Amino acid sequence: MRKDYKKLLVIGSGPIIIGQAAEFDFSGTQACRSLREEGYSTVLVNSNPATIQTDTDTADSVYIEPLLAENVARIIEKEGVDGVISGMGGQTALNICSELADSGELERLGAVLVGTQPDAIAMSEDRELFKETMERIGEPIPLSRSVNSIQEAKEAVKAIGKYPVLIRPAYTLGGTGGGIAHDEAELEEICARGLAYSRIHQVLIEESVLGWKEYEYEVMRDSDDNCIIICNMENLDAMGIHTGESIVCAPCLTLSDKDHQRLRSAAIKVIRALNIDGGCNVQFAYNPANGDYRLIEVNPRVSRSSALASKATGYPIARVATKIAVGYTLDEIPNRITGTTYAAFEPSVDYVVIKIPRWPFDKFRTVDRHLGTQMKSTGEVMSIGRTFEEALLKGLRSLEIGVKGLDRFEADDDALREELVNATDKRIFAMGEALRKGWTVEKVADLAKWDAFFVQKLKNIVDMEERIKTGLTPAVLKKAKEMGFSDDTIGELCGAPSLEVRARRKAQGLIPVYKMVDTCAAEFAAQTPYFYSTYGRSSEVVPVTDKKKVVIIGGGPIRIGQGIEFDYCCVHGVMALQEEGVDAVIINNNPETVSTDYDISDRLYFEPLTLEDVLNAVESEGADGVIVQYGGQTSVNLAVDLEKALAGTGTRILGTSPDDMDVAEDRRRFSKLMDELGIKQPRSGTGYSFEEAKAIAEGIGYPVLVRPSYVLGGRAMEIVYSTSELKTYVDTAVKVSRNHPILVDKYLTEAVEIDVDAVCDGTDVYVGGIMEHVEYAGCHSGDATMVLPPFTLSKAVTDEIVDITRRVALALRIRGLMNLQLAVKNGQVYMIEANPRASRTVPFISKATGVPLAKVATKIMLGKTLKDFGLSGYRAIDHYAIKASVFPFLKLPGVDSILTPEMKSTGEVMGIDEDFSKACYKALVAAGNKLPSEGGVYVTVNDQDKEKILEPVKCLKDMGFTIYATKGTSTYLRECGIDTVTVFKLDEGQKPNAVGLMRDGKINLVINTPSQKSGAIRDGYTMRRLAVELEIPFMTTVQGADVAVRAIKVAKSGALGVRSVKEFHGLV
Amino acid sequence: MACGYLVLEDGTAYEGELFGSETDAVGEVVFSTGMDGYQESLTDPSFRGQILVSTYPLVGDYGIADGFDQSDAVHVRGLVVREYCRHPSMMYGGKTLDSYMKKHGVPGISGIDTRDLVIKIRTEGTVKGAIVGAGADIEETVKALRKMPLPSECNLVAEVSCKGVSRRDNGNGTPVGVLDCGTKRGIVRDLDSRFDTVIFPYDTPADVIADSKVKGLLVTNGPGDPSHPAIVATAQKTVSDLSSVMPIYGICYGSQIIARALGGSTYKMKFGHRGCNQPVKFDGRVYITSQNHGYAVDESSLEGTGLVANQINVNDGTVEGVRHKDLPIFTSQYHPEATPGPTDTAFLFDVFAKMVKEGRL
Repeated sequence: MRKDYKKLLVIGSGPIIIGQAAEFDFSGTQACRSLREEGYSTVLVNSNPATIQTDTDTADSVYIEPLLAENVARIIEKEGVDGVISGMGGQTALNICSELADSGELERLGAVLVGTQPDAIAMSEDRELFKETMERIGEPIPLSRSVNSIQEAKEAVKAIGKYPVLIRPAYTLGGTGGGIAHDEAELEEICARGLAYSRIHQVLIEESVLGWKEYEYEVMRDSDDNCIIICNMENLDAMGIHTGESIVCAPCLTLSDKDHQRLRSAAIKVIRALNIDGGCNVQFAYNPANGDYRLIEVNPRVSRSSALASKATGYPIARVATKIAVGYTLDEIPNRITGTTYAAFEPSVDYVVIKIPRWPFDKFRTVDRHLGTQMKSTGEVMSIGRTFEEALLKGLRSLEIGVKGLDRFEADDDALREELVNATDKRIFAMGEALRKGWTVEKVADLAKWDAFFVQKLKNIVDMEERIKTGLTPAVLKKAKEMGFSDDTIGELCGAPSLEVRARRKAQGLIPVYKMVDTCAAEFAAQTPYFYSTYGRSSEVVPVTDKKKVVIIGGGPIRIGQGIEFDYCCVHGVMALQEEGVDAVIINNNPETVSTDYDISDRLYFEPLTLEDVLNAVESEGADGVIVQYGGQTSVNLAVDLEKALAGTGTRILGTSPDDMDVAEDRRRFSKLMDELGIKQPRSGTGYSFEEAKAIAEGIGYPVLVRPSYVLGGRAMEIVYSTSELKTYVDTAVKVSRNHPILVDKYLTEAVEIDVDAVCDGTDVYVGGIMEHVEYAGCHSGDATMVLPPFTLSKAVTDEIVDITRRVALALRIRGLMNLQLAVKNGQVYMIEANPRASRTVPFISKATGVPLAKVATKIMLGKTLKDFGLSGYRAIDHYAIKASVFPFLKLPGVDSILTPEMKSTGEVMGIDEDFSKACYKALVAAGNKLPSEGGVYVTVNDQDKEKILEPVKCLKDMGFTIYATKGTSTYLRECGIDTVTVFKLDEGQKPNAVGLMRDGKINLVINTPSQKSGAIRDGYTMRRLAVELEIPFMTTVQGADVAVRAIKVAKSGALGVRSVKEFHGLV
Repeated sequence: MACGYLVLEDGTAYEGELFGSETDAVGEVVFSTGMDGYQESLTDPSFRGQILVSTYPLVGDYGIADGFDQSDAVHVRGLVVREYCRHPSMMYGGKTLDSYMKKHGVPGISGIDTRDLVIKIRTEGTVKGAIVGAGADIEETVKALRKMPLPSECNLVAEVSCKGVSRRDNGNGTPVGVLDCGTKRGIVRDLDSRFDTVIFPYDTPADVIADSKVKGLLVTNGPGDPSHPAIVATAQKTVSDLSSVMPIYGICYGSQIIARALGGSTYKMKFGHRGCNQPVKFDGRVYITSQNHGYAVDESSLEGTGLVANQINVNDGTVEGVRHKDLPIFTSQYHPEATPGPTDTAFLFDVFAKMVKEGRL
């Protein structure tokens, strides 16, 4: 039964990071909706502005504040919260709840944890307690020992008996800092790292179950002790590869019922022993040789796996877990998918679900691509098919990594073998290639430690390729489509353009049908609007004829450069369409996001986002319109082809026309337009070969900014300072060709960079926000710290920016959203680029100003005007919103932490306050910077920055910090009257040097601006990497340092408060 | 790969590929939503006379292994799948479903849009159907199907019940009887671990059982209609006669027999419950249960019988178990022995044991 609470607080998970992504926006949002449905007053806190959950209508009060226990306590106190939901914000929320409960703060404030209780959290999170509990109930776990030092670790290995051993830090997420040690040297290295990452300085040394199979169970339990399994999942990759890094299928396919029931019963025993009310994820290692199993891990909360299980089955885990938390039992909660049954049942599915991780290795070319126990992927795709092959091929083409399916992998035998044994992100393609070379299924399975069952499925795909090559008869075409082959792959194999394959199969009557995801394998008539395609006899999509239908193309998997922001825009698009009485249809393949929640849109197609799959869904719907502005580059890239393919049908691309979009995307067309408008641009050119690029660069003068055309997130974008660097870039980073030119722009040194987001209806333009980058131009806008409104620009410059925005939007005939990137140098405004689509900053601006840009833009695409909303021109706000980025450096050994034109951040936070310095503080702290209040600061800056760094360093000195500096910087600072301790450079080989001091804990902040030459950038690498690993905040720009110093100063003054978003917007 | 058809009495024909035995099959077409446990289902005597459709599209993925059989024979008349697995996981030895069905003389058909078929059955109710080869005349097959009596018009229990009494001395001391209407091995296994077991044919008269000194009786699962005259005259009468003599527990078909024996009635459901995910509410708790039944006890018929429906299906409110107000008699419409399915209700065998020991429920 429902319990009474005055007010409930949901804690979000903060910025998107590796291991904690959009799934918590999905679960937190579902939790809030679930609570409001029950009539509870709700409060939400999250530092991530890009989420749907920080929308003001998700909860009664929404706080965008740093996720620190002290802030959460302030909110609890201010709002009079008496119940805190612990299980919806991932490890971040769980840790905050543990901290508040342990310290007694929660009790002092008169609040309780709702749902899983502190003792249950401790029992599953604390390795020793977990071990004791499992021993008590007789469930086997790997032999292990918790240790707090390297010496203890060595003793633990002796007790276990042999290497390899696994090292798992306690209280971390996504396996951060863990690893596999094969000998004592590796043990020492990994333990040192793991101990540093653990919140309680503890790691677990564990018996290796490498090579065993991995199965996962999603369990729910209510306060009456009713337990159900929502879904089980099978990792295709054996133990040793983190489940977040593994290809996963659901349900388990290779377990007999008998063994499935053994694991199912064990999972239920575990959730009971841990006394978890709500959802929990249980991971097993399973020895295929003898049927032994070990419990590997339990997550006492919703997780990435539970988001996947929700999307895989249609069962809304977060929603139900929330109801359970407030006292309902499973049989009291209606199953909204069927509308007639209850939450107390186990979903039965009638399809195969596959999840494939999306790795950021296209952005981080230097990083070690091997997969292991530490997560490196930023996102994932999910696909659904009626056969394994169909689901797999759909999944592969959803990844947007340039593959159409199980594509070729050129490698010799040795390289193939190496790839099979030591997996990277490419392994599945190597497996396909090995089979094409005639390696047996058994051999491939044995090398890769996969069940031969799955390898055989790859073999079936490879065999079908041969049949297609031999002759594409109608029967073969039918089989190939049923197996999930794309028209593209079929076309490539038989030498026909894919649109011809499409025409041929349609003539043959081969069009996909859409089946429903209904939780019950069709046993009950369901009301859910959630569909996937397959080839079969009948479709379950019932055409709606009396309403206008608009399809929104989603953004696909979360990757660097295309994150949750685009999902936010898609969801707002859906809401706006519905507000206008239009049926909103989503096509997307990301299981983590809100847009793919079954009750967001009027119909959801869980599909790859290729032209073929999108066209099929659009045709199935008979849609009136398609919106391509919200799915990032994924949907923009489809625009032109989609418009061509839809010509002559009743379906239109809504908003800015694809041709006008192309004007913005095509550098030549765009430059011409800027010239016509009299808007300055850095000199630039497009090179179709190295020689052409060289000529352009030499013509406009180094440094120049180089990048391939048509990319998002600045992939492979670099500043080069000389012809030899340009040569290196062309040789290693990009292929230059007629079809793939590179763009060469003059790099404006020390220019202020500006981002503008605007909405245009064809007549009027509304400038949603002007954001000034803290870092100078050259740092990617996705990584830059941004301030809204600008904090150094004159009124005249701001006016000019507004004017330029208006003129460009009108010239590009924008209907909807547009983003501009501008640079300001010596009072001159330069155009960098225009993006005729939703940008990464749309949710940030919307949260900061209270104007929902994506909704307004959607309604404009439907024919409304800005006047209808009373919006025009530019409106300043009376507070500061600062966007700071978070980076995956900790998770990705080998990556330099310096900011460049290539985007590296995974997510963002917002600091919002009336006071600029306080906003700086909130943003930096929310982004995970451990700002010191005392201690030492290491300063080493290049010559041109020396003068500018003086003021911040002086301020630090005044606050009592010890200043350490290398000779050059030290000398300069002393001349200016600042006392410093001089340290040696690393290559001088003497002590004290920075690295030693950092290890000794003497340095708590690093200010390091490398000189603008790539050689010098490499010199500081060791130090920056160490700072990353020791979590010492470091600033690589003078502007960043200035912001950090302001933040430290304001934090020391202690005058910080919390304020809800509505309060900022003057709505309270 | 030979082509063939699944033909339904309403005239629908699904084209597919045949596997298993190269024979035709006719039967009542039913679907199960279990996602694994196909070998247990194929050998479950309750499926006698039926063509089984698996809602899970992939069948045979982990192969066939000794120990999963629920009886000596494959009882389904035919198997309908989206895809059967030619190359199963080797984890259980790698024997294929195809060769197993060939060995048992049962055909299967693959490549069927089973979801379309299931929606048809869900909407129109259980239908008669046939698996036939590519050369078959569809219209003739439909005509024959329409004329064909439902398999349940035969005494299917007689086909699957044991032919003579057998005793299993397990060294447990207490002997209980099993009235075998087509028992699954799982039930016998769960009795063997607690009792000495005496297995009686379904038509054993009450006095024979009473004289055998068993301390309680379990009435098993079985195929077909519990109101069949041949059952009313035998098993139902036996249970009626023994109801005040010894503690009795009934599973599935056995539950229906007990209800009828004490004056209740049963009816045929539209398409039954077959799967491993059926929620049952019992004493304020919800259990996930394994089920395979096309008939159910009519709750309204229990008035005045002394029986009360104390277990209810959470989804559709049907009777999932009854108990007697005074006598040591209870039933479960579902399968506590699982195989296949969850073992959440295995404790019912302990309840039975306690009832046998104490002589009261």
